[in-house]
Amino acid sequence: MSLRIVPENSQATSFSHTNRTTSAPSAPGVHDTLRHGVAQSPFDAAANKPSSAHPLEARLKSWEATQESLRMETLRRTYGIAEPVRRGMELKIVRDGEWRPLALGGGLPSVHEDILKGREDMISWEDVFTGDEMRGVPGVHDEMERKLKMQ
Amino acid sequence: MPGFDFSNYNRNAALHAQGMPLPKATSTGTTIVGCIFDGGVVIAADTRATSGPIVADKNCEKLHYIAPQIWCAGAGTAADTEFTTALISSQLELHAMSTGRKPRVVTCMTMLKQHLFRYQGHIGAYLVVAGVDPTGTHLFTVHAHGSTDKLPYVTMGSGSLAAMSVFESKWKAELTQEEAVELASQAILAGIWNDLGSGSNVDVAVITPEKTTLKRNLIKPNEKAPKLQSYKFARGTTAVLNEKIIKKSEIGRYVSVQEVPLESDKMEVDS
Repeated sequence: MSLRIVPENSQATSFSHTNRTTSAPSAPGVHDTLRHGVAQSPFDAAANKPSSAHPLEARLKSWEATQESLRMETLRRTYGIAEPVRRGMELKIVRDGEWRPLALGGGLPSVHEDILKGREDMISWEDVFTGDEMRGVPGVHDEMERKLKMQ
Repeated sequence: MPGFDFSNYNRNAALHAQGMPLPKATSTGTTIVGCIFDGGVVIAADTRATSGPIVADKNCEKLHYIAPQIWCAGAGTAADTEFTTALISSQLELHAMSTGRKPRVVTCMTMLKQHLFRYQGHIGAYLVVAGVDPTGTHLFTVHAHGSTDKLPYVTMGSGSLAAMSVFESKWKAELTQEEAVELASQAILAGIWNDLGSGSNVDVAVITPEKTTLKRNLIKPNEKAPKLQSYKFARGTTAVLNEKIIKKSEIGRYVSVQEVPLESDKMEVDS
C-alpha cells in the first residue's frame, strides 16, 4: 500500500495493434478493420487500455486510479479497513446496476458514480471529447457474448 | 482515448525510427505582466500573436476571463492558454455553485497548477493569475509544468526580461491605481519595443473589490500610418460611352417572367 500522488512511470515498451480482441473469429491474431475500424477497439477503450506507447497517455490513463488509491489508503489509515471497503462496495453496486450498450458510446461514468467519487461538480476534457467518434461501433451480440463470457 | 488523442504517436515514432526528421519546435513570444496596488491588482499584455516568424494577428486578446473578479493573462501556445483558462473558468463556476461561495484566486491557481502538472508541460500555458476575493488581493504566475510563484509584481513570456527591468527600476510599495496602470503599461511597452515576439497594442485589466475594468487597446503605439498615395480612382474617371436603362415593368420583353405567390410554395427545410 503506497501513498503515491502521481502514477509511476509505466508506459508500454512495446505496442501491438493486433491483439485477440480486435480480430475476426475466423482469423485470430489479425486485426479486423471492417469490424473494428482503424482506431482503437471500443472494448480496449472501455478496458482503459492505452492506445499508444506515449508516456503521457499511460500517465493520464492511470491518473484517476492513482488518486483514488491514495484517497482509499488515507481513509484506511484514518478509519480502518471498513471505510474503503464500504466505499468500494457502494461503487460496485452502482456500477453493476448501470449498464448501457457500447453502441451508445461508453466511457462516461454515470451520475451515481460521479457523486460517489466526489466528481459531480467537475467537468474536464474527457467529459466532452470522449473519443467515441473515431471508434468502430461494436455489435450488441458481440458485446453480450463477451459480457456473458461465451466468446 | 478520451481527451487527448495519441493514436498517431506509434506511427510517428516508427517514421522517426526510419529516418524521418522530427518537426521543429516553435518558439512563442509574448509579454504579460501583473502588479498589485493598494486596493486591487492590474494585469497587462501585448496583442501580437506569432506563428514562427509570421505575425498571425496584430490585435489578439491575451487577457482571459475566469471569474468576474479573477482574470488571467496567458503566454505560450495560444490555443492552450485559451482552452485551459476556459476549462478552469467552468470548473471554478461549478465549484462556486457547489460551495455557494465566491471563487477564490488560490482555488483557481491550484486548479490550474494541478491540471498543468498532470500533463507534464505538454500543455504550453504560461499564465499570470490575478484577482480579488474575500481573502484579499492575489497575484500568481503558473508555469506550464505546474510550478507557481506569488509576488507583488510579475512578468512572463519572451518579453519578461524587458518588462521586469521596468518593474525593478520603477516599482515601489503602495502604488495607487493610476500609478500601477501606468507602470504595467510601461513594462508592456518595454516588451513591445525590445522583444521581437511582442508588439502592437497594450491591453490592461484593472481588478478592484468592486469591479473589473478591461481596458482593451489602452495604448496604441503602432497605428498604421495612412499611405502617402492612394490608388483608388475618383468617381467618373472612366468616361461613359453608351447608356441604356431597362425598367422593371419592361423586363418581360427580354425574358419570360412568372410571378410566384409569396406564402404557397415555400422550400421545405428542417426546423
